[in-house]
Amino acid sequence: MRILLALGELSEAERLVPITSAHVSGASYKMIGDPGLEFLEDFARDARVVVPTTVNPLGTDLTQWEELGIPPEFAEKQGRIAHAYETMGVRPSFSCTPYLIGVRPSFGEHVAWAESNAVCFANSVLGARTNREGGPSALAAAIVGATPEYGLHTDEGREPTTIVHVRTSPRGIDFSLIGLVAGERVGAGLPFFDGFQASEEDLKWLGAALASSGGCGMFHLDRVTPEARRTRTKGLRSITINRHDLVAAKRSFTDGSEADVIALGSPQLSGDEVRVIAQRVDRTPPRIPVWVFTSRIVRDANSEAVAIIERHGGRVLADTCLEVTLLEHRFGTVATPSGKGAYYLPSLCKQKVILDDIDRLLERYA
Amino acid sequence: MKIRGRRIVAGRAEGRALASAVPFSFVGGADPVTGTILDPTTGAADERLAGRVFVFPHGKGSTVGSYVIYGLAKRGVGPAGIVNASADGIVAVGAILAGIPMVDRIDTGGVRTGDPLILDGDRGTVEIPGVRATPVVSVILRNRGRILIVRRSQAVGSFRGHWSAISGHLEGREDPKSRAIQEVREETGLRGLAFRAAGSSVHARNDSTMYVVHPFLFDVASRRVRLDWENDEYRWVRPEELDRFKTVPRLNDVVATVLR
Repeated sequence: MRILLALGELSEAERLVPITSAHVSGASYKMIGDPGLEFLEDFARDARVVVPTTVNPLGTDLTQWEELGIPPEFAEKQGRIAHAYETMGVRPSFSCTPYLIGVRPSFGEHVAWAESNAVCFANSVLGARTNREGGPSALAAAIVGATPEYGLHTDEGREPTTIVHVRTSPRGIDFSLIGLVAGERVGAGLPFFDGFQASEEDLKWLGAALASSGGCGMFHLDRVTPEARRTRTKGLRSITINRHDLVAAKRSFTDGSEADVIALGSPQLSGDEVRVIAQRVDRTPPRIPVWVFTSRIVRDANSEAVAIIERHGGRVLADTCLEVTLLEHRFGTVATPSGKGAYYLPSLCKQKVILDDIDRLLERYA
Repeated sequence: MKIRGRRIVAGRAEGRALASAVPFSFVGGADPVTGTILDPTTGAADERLAGRVFVFPHGKGSTVGSYVIYGLAKRGVGPAGIVNASADGIVAVGAILAGIPMVDRIDTGGVRTGDPLILDGDRGTVEIPGVRATPVVSVILRNRGRILIVRRSQAVGSFRGHWSAISGHLEGREDPKSRAIQEVREETGLRGLAFRAAGSSVHARNDSTMYVVHPFLFDVASRRVRLDWENDEYRWVRPEELDRFKTVPRLNDVVATVLR
C-alpha cells in the first residue's frame, strides 16, 4: 500500500482505482538475479494477491532445462522464483502474452500490467486501461487490488501526441519495423497511426516493437483500434513512415551475417502462429534449428505442430521467452522476425542479430 | 544551509554525501553484495554506499533496481539515505521496501561527495552544515536567438575571468525580479526589457558557499552593451556555444531552466 501511495504521489494521482487483474514482470532469474529471488521469497512469506494475477516468462523451460544445458544452480533458483510467485497466489502462466491465454480485460476495465508488449496490447487493442507498470509496482497493485489513477487510466492520458502516416502496405515483418521506427521517433509519446489495416496478430508485433524502441504504452490505429474514433488529432505534429524507413530499420537492426538459430518469440507465439510455423518448416526444412517460444498452454494444445517442428531439429519452449532465456551460451547469432527481440538481444544476451521476415529466413536457411 | 524538498520515505539519516552528477541504475551500477559503486560515469566508482547519503538526479534502467536496493539494505551495505532531484518509481519503491529515508525535489548539482548531510525524511529537508546559502539573480538577456555573456573583471570578489550571465546578490527581502532589472541597467546600460521567464532556482557551489541562483530570461531590442567595472568583455552567443567558454559553475543549467 505504501508503494502505491508513493507512486501515486509521484505522479500526482488523486486516488487509487480498483483493478480486475494484474500481470507481473520480473520472473527470469537471468534478469532479476539473487536480489529479486531474495525479495520475492521474503515477500511470499505473507503477501497474497487479491485479484487474478499472471506472471512473465522465466529464464528457462521448467521441464526441458537439462536438455538445454542450463546450469543446475540456475534451474534451482529459477524454480524457487516460480514457487515464490505461486505461493503468493499468482497463476503460473510464465507468459508475456496473457491476452493469448484467456486474460482479456474488456473495454474500459482498469488493470495493472507490467510487460510492455502486454501493456500496449491491453490499452490499444482491447481498450482496457493500464500504465506501464514495473515488476514491483504491478505486484503491489495485485496485493492491494488497486492502482494509482493517472496517465493511461485517464481519458486525457489516452489522447495521441503524434500522427504517424504510414505510406506503404505493411505485411509480415513490416509491423515490427513500423513499431521500431515509430517508437524511436515518438519516444514516450502516444502515436496515432493511419494508412493501413492490421489483424490482432499484426498489432501484437507492432506494439511489442513500439514499446521497446519507445516508451509508449499505447497507440491508436485509424479505423481499427477501439478508441481511435474518439481521439482528438487536430493540430498534432505528424510524421511519415515509408518503405525506405522500414528497409533502413531492418538493416540497422541487423549486425550478424550467418545465423546459428532461427528464434521465434518475443512476444510468445499464439497457437495459430505455432501451427503456421510447423507447416512452413515441414514444407522447407531448415538446416539450422528453429526455436519457438510460446506459453505452456499453447504448447500443450498443439502437440502435433510441436512434433513437426522438433522432428526438423527445432525446439518448442514454454515458460520462457527469447531474450529472458539463457540462449547466449548456445548461439552467437540469432535470426528473428521479432522487432522487440532484435532490439534487446544485443544488450541483454550479447548476441548478434539478423532481423528478417520468417519466410525469407526459412528460404535462406533451407 | 537547509534545503527544502519533498518527503518520499520518512526517517532521519546523517552521513557523508556520495554524489553522482548523472542518473543511476542500481542494476549493474552497484555491486548487489558489497554495495560498491561500479558505474564509472558517476565519478564515484569504488566508493561504498554503506553509511553514506547517496545523492543523484534520478534512477534509470530496469525495475529490478528496486530489489537491488532492498537486498543492499538487508545486508547492511545500502545507503543511509537517498536524495534525488526527481524521484522515479524504481528508486522510490526500492527505498520504501528497504526503509531508507528519502527526499526529492532537491537540486542535487550543489552537493559534493564528502559533504556532511542531515536528511530529514519527515520534513522533506536536507541540511548541509558548514555551507552558507547566498541568494543571487542570474539574468539571461536574449536578442534574436543569441544570449549575452560577460567576462567577470579582476575587480570582483569571485570567479574573476569567468564568463557569466548578468548577475548580482540579493539583499534582504528584496524582490528577485526588481534586482534582476536593476543589475541589467548597471552592468549593460540596456533598457526596455521584455520579461519572458523565471526559472526554478539552481544551486551552484563554491567551497563553503552555495549560490542559490534565481534565473530570469528577458528579451532586449538592442545588442549595444555598455559595460561597468564588474565585467571587461561581452559576447552575444548561441546557447549551444556556452561549452566553449570557461564559465561560472552551472551556467548551462541556469540557461536551461529558462530556455526550452
